[in-house]
Amino acid sequence: MIRAVGRLTLWALRGLGANALVLARTLFYLPRLDGGELRRALVLFGFRSLPLTLGAAALIGATVVLQIGVYATRLYAGWAAGFSLLWEFGPLLLGLVMGARIGARNAAELALLNVNGQLEGLRGISLDPFRILVAPRVVASLLSVLGLASVTFLVAIIWQAVAAYLTLGLPVRIFFGAFADLLFWGDLAAGIIKSAAYGLAIAVVSTTAGLKAAGGAAGVGRAAAAAVVSGCAAIFFLDLALTPWLAKVLVR
Amino acid sequence: MTGGPLRVLGAQTMLFARTVRAAARHGVRRREVLRHMAELGTSSALLIAVGLFFFGVVLVTIAWAQARKYFGNIAVLGPPYFQLILREFSPIMAAVLAASRQGASTAAALGAMSVNEQLEALELSAADPLAELVAPRLIASVLVLPLLTVLGVVAATSSAALTITFAFQNNGAAFLDPSLVTTGDVLSALVKTLLCGAFIPIAASLRGLQAQGGAGAVGEAVTVGVVEACMGCLLIDFLVAAAFFILSAQQ
Repeated sequence: MIRAVGRLTLWALRGLGANALVLARTLFYLPRLDGGELRRALVLFGFRSLPLTLGAAALIGATVVLQIGVYATRLYAGWAAGFSLLWEFGPLLLGLVMGARIGARNAAELALLNVNGQLEGLRGISLDPFRILVAPRVVASLLSVLGLASVTFLVAIIWQAVAAYLTLGLPVRIFFGAFADLLFWGDLAAGIIKSAAYGLAIAVVSTTAGLKAAGGAAGVGRAAAAAVVSGCAAIFFLDLALTPWLAKVLVR
Repeated sequence: MTGGPLRVLGAQTMLFARTVRAAARHGVRRREVLRHMAELGTSSALLIAVGLFFFGVVLVTIAWAQARKYFGNIAVLGPPYFQLILREFSPIMAAVLAASRQGASTAAALGAMSVNEQLEALELSAADPLAELVAPRLIASVLVLPLLTVLGVVAATSSAALTITFAFQNNGAAFLDPSLVTTGDVLSALVKTLLCGAFIPIAASLRGLQAQGGAGAVGEAVTVGVVEACMGCLLIDFLVAAAFFILSAQQ
């Protein structure tokens, strides 16, 4: 029993330490970021994820209206749908989908380089893989999720208005009237801050998983799978840690 | 995503039909199904329980901040909260988390086998890879995901009740009140979890079996497989919710 607790503690500390190291080395190389690699990662993580994000946004928005809109009176339906989307469902579901897409891809690419000995090769010619591979991707993941979150919220809210009109027969003017009266900039800021934090966590966690990979094709698969799962866990932890603080700071 | 949405869903439907046919022809080993059920249950249960526990805490924290501002009494939110968790959020969260956990490991395992030509070896020894590898995962997932969803309901509602009672000193028991739940809600949740439970292993296996080349192909299979499994669950969730909404509106 004590041994199990000790093992669990060690495992948790080791995981936290590895992630903290990745984050610290990224911050260290921030001033000397490789521009070309950053642009490539931005296209790969951000731009290429756009269709996926738009699809997810439409589904999330419409589902939230279908499920939540029925409880609220007509004047408050817009508020209930928009508020729950911005504070919780938008960032959370977008984070989980992006954790799968960005996290698995990042971990798989790094694991592949690692398994093939290419990271060793980079170190051999005295290039730090953290500067040219890891730091640009972490920054790109943060920026991509930030940008995609803004697009997601916009698209999801438009779809919410459409869904509210079609299912509840709510005129679009009343839907957005509730927005103007009852929502504040703080609500939008909460969603964006949460999304940015998730983007950072996804990148750090998946980099750690990718750099730990060993053992051929199966190892690459395991690293990608581990990145997705620990990304999900990190998102839920961050959600719990950030929400009370954001609610205190941003809600008037 | 590769190709249009129709082509993507078409491939998964085909794989589903072929798996069912192969399983009917060759039979499925019960031991293998039980092994996958155990693996799936133990690996996803902790993630889903902890995830939905936190989710419940977060939801009531937000609701508390709003309730104080607009209507004062948080206990009126209890029964709708229970209904929403049961009908919508536990099924979708459990499905997306299972898609991540189980989809990733399925795509990784089958992708590695495919790249190492172990599937050809299976076929040479007169075993059908679909009946041997995909069918047990499919059956296990369809059986286990509803149980995981129930676990999610328990975690999300109990965390809400505990948070309201101990952190905000209010009537937390209202968040365990199922008085609004109807048969339609339970049915809707059940249909969602069964469909998602069938879709996740199929979507992940499809990309795993298609992996060709080296280690890079395995990584690609995991990425695409998990993303498609997640998006498929979101789509199924929306379609079932819309169908039940229309049905309840007609009554």
